[in-house]
Amino acid sequence: MREGEEQLRAWMIDGLGGDAGAHAALLRALVPLLQSFYRRRMRGAEHDVEDLVQETLIAVHTRRASYDRDRPFVAWLYAIARYRMIDHFRRQRVTVPVDDVADILVAEGFEDACAARMDVARLLSGLSPKQARAIRDTHIDGLSIAEAAQAARIGESDVKISVHRGMKALAARIRGERP
Amino acid sequence: MKTEDLIQSLTREVPPVPRHALGRRIMLGVAGGGVMTLALVMLALGVRPDLWIAMHGFAFWMKWSYTASLGVVAIVATMRLARPDALPSRWPWLLSIPVLLLAAIGIGELAGTPSRDWLAMWLGQSWKVCPWLVLTLAMPIFVGLLWSFRRLAPTRLRAAGAAAGLAAGACAATIYCLHCPEVSAIFVLTWYSLGILLAAGVGALVGPRFLRW
Repeated sequence: MREGEEQLRAWMIDGLGGDAGAHAALLRALVPLLQSFYRRRMRGAEHDVEDLVQETLIAVHTRRASYDRDRPFVAWLYAIARYRMIDHFRRQRVTVPVDDVADILVAEGFEDACAARMDVARLLSGLSPKQARAIRDTHIDGLSIAEAAQAARIGESDVKISVHRGMKALAARIRGERP
Repeated sequence: MKTEDLIQSLTREVPPVPRHALGRRIMLGVAGGGVMTLALVMLALGVRPDLWIAMHGFAFWMKWSYTASLGVVAIVATMRLARPDALPSRWPWLLSIPVLLLAAIGIGELAGTPSRDWLAMWLGQSWKVCPWLVLTLAMPIFVGLLWSFRRLAPTRLRAAGAAAGLAAGACAATIYCLHCPEVSAIFVLTWYSLGILLAAGVGALVGPRFLRW
């Protein structure tokens, strides 16, 4: 059973107060959450998922002083989980033998991803640079509107308009009409 | 190891964490390193003999307010970056307030000084060593902050390293004021700031390596 933010946060705060029972309940409740978080992001590597879940539990325990009782718990948790995953990849990259890289790339759908990326790049190249960038930032790299606006040093409404017009132009192009 | 066993071993001891544990831990790191830096200034460099007289003058307080305000901003930034969900923030802009104020004082000083004395005012007696001393004196405080981070969870390691370096540099410069006899605003603006910036640069450089967890 999945516990929600309210319950997790309550356990966390009680744990910070020194309540070992609440702390244990919290860590147990985090296991399924973290498992699905990592499974979704690391297809097929069940052993790594288990390692990452445990590393994250240890980090949640030893670094719990970094939680601010006034802020959402789940955001804090996922920030730690994301960091652990990035660190995991960084450590692994050093130990992956070069011969296996091709297999890994095939398994990870790298070729398909590359082909899709090239299609996207070709389509975007037909747009104005501002529109192309706005679409790439918000729809491919996953930035929020505010982040994209900051990155491109333009206003948020400008980003929204660029995305909207760019998408319209793309749709027209894919349908075979001239914009 | 089974996850359940891990949870049991982790929860065997659950010490309470006070509400301001993070801030306290950062301050403890700064204070611990600061004591080392203070000892270095007193034993290796020596407190300026006219400190008591200087403390009645404007220049001393101008220097202290400059370095101390940079230190406060940098420590607050370090505290924010010690949390994993730290958002990019606008705090670096706050640093420009003390810099601009000191620059205004510096321009006022220059205006009141014949231009043939400007160079001597800018270079003072110690421009060659001042930035390096600030950088060196920042190291104990930086190490103290590295200790603080061991129980905290920075995820933007380069930014956290830079903020910690900046805090260490600014605090070290504040302590260095006890030794340094320079009085002009443009001296402080150039050479102190350079030392503090060097410390921030070192922090940004080594942050990703030393702050990893």
